[in-house]
Amino acid sequence: MNRNVIFVLCVVVGITALLLVGKRTSKQPESASASVTGGQQPAAAPVQGAGDPPKGSMAPAFELKSIPEGKNISLASLRGKAVLLNFWATWCGPCKIEMPWLVDLQKKYGPEGLQIVGVAMDDTDDKDIADFAHKMGVNYMVLKGSEKVGDLYGGVDRLPLTYFVDRSGKVVDEIVGLHSASDIEESVKKTLEQAKSN
Amino acid sequence: MKSYRLVFFLLILGLYSGLLLVAQEEPTPQGRTFVTALPTSTVVVSPGGRTPVQFTFRVQNPYHINSNQPTSEELIPTQLHFSLPGEVAIGKMQYPAGKLMSFPFDPNVKLSVYSGDFVVRGVVVAPTQASTGTYTIHAELKYQACDNNSCYPPKKLPFTFNVKVGTRSAGVKKARPTATSPHIHN
Repeated sequence: MNRNVIFVLCVVVGITALLLVGKRTSKQPESASASVTGGQQPAAAPVQGAGDPPKGSMAPAFELKSIPEGKNISLASLRGKAVLLNFWATWCGPCKIEMPWLVDLQKKYGPEGLQIVGVAMDDTDDKDIADFAHKMGVNYMVLKGSEKVGDLYGGVDRLPLTYFVDRSGKVVDEIVGLHSASDIEESVKKTLEQAKSN
Repeated sequence: MKSYRLVFFLLILGLYSGLLLVAQEEPTPQGRTFVTALPTSTVVVSPGGRTPVQFTFRVQNPYHINSNQPTSEELIPTQLHFSLPGEVAIGKMQYPAGKLMSFPFDPNVKLSVYSGDFVVRGVVVAPTQASTGTYTIHAELKYQACDNNSCYPPKKLPFTFNVKVGTRSAGVKKARPTATSPHIHN
């Protein structure tokens, strides 16, 4: 009996150690070797938050109003496209930094089926959002976000927050906070590749 | 018998591992604290008098919040709001100047921010006809925080402090008669 107890205790300690190591490893940035672009330091990737749609799951469906057109746009209507879903706000400094990068990506990968969707989480008027997007040279779809849609995507309590959704509607990747342009481009390529292999 | 004990220990192991995982979970985003309000001493003011007041706030590391005068119109300024009873008014709000700082997400741009402790000053005024007593004033600090990588939605920090309207004492100045009534800065 003593030998059994000792054996089980050793197993407990060993598995606990493995769990702790595994947990710590899962917190490492996915792109620790990301290059620096334009003098920006690549930010560490925080772990996927509780409530965020997990990779491989279907991106939560929603319908939001486009700015400035005022048309209702559903995520489902973009099925067949690789979607970069970017939650942002006019008051978010890091969001402003990555917007020109998103403009470039839309130009470069739009012909391959990329559709960038910027979901504005502002409380401000649609006109202010539209003016801001115009000033930033945004060439992709802008939608007026809502708390309800934010809740579907884990609460959207920090910006920028970007999901990469493949042509079949599945979440391929997630970036929380500001990352380098090359990190974002890698995720775009991965999403387009995923679309091809589906 | 031995196999039952083994099963029992394995069940305990599974429970322990599960508890460990739960304990290791990241705090929920809703639990993140950006700014705290340090306690404000009771303000004593006599009817027709005025007393300075100061509110001290602490911005938690590694965050910063926009100052009351941010460098861009899109940025959300830090502002103090009060729900006041008729017996008191608060005016002449003085926000500290923000520190001009640049951040890794945009080293070329300087933002006017508060970090660490900062103090907002004001003056509590009690009209001549104010009733004596202690009033609990409800206030809230509206702010918007960022760190070096992300920005967080605007938040409101509610807090309270007491104002005691009492008879004139040596430490309380009497307000000079003015043509206009005290106004409230929000």
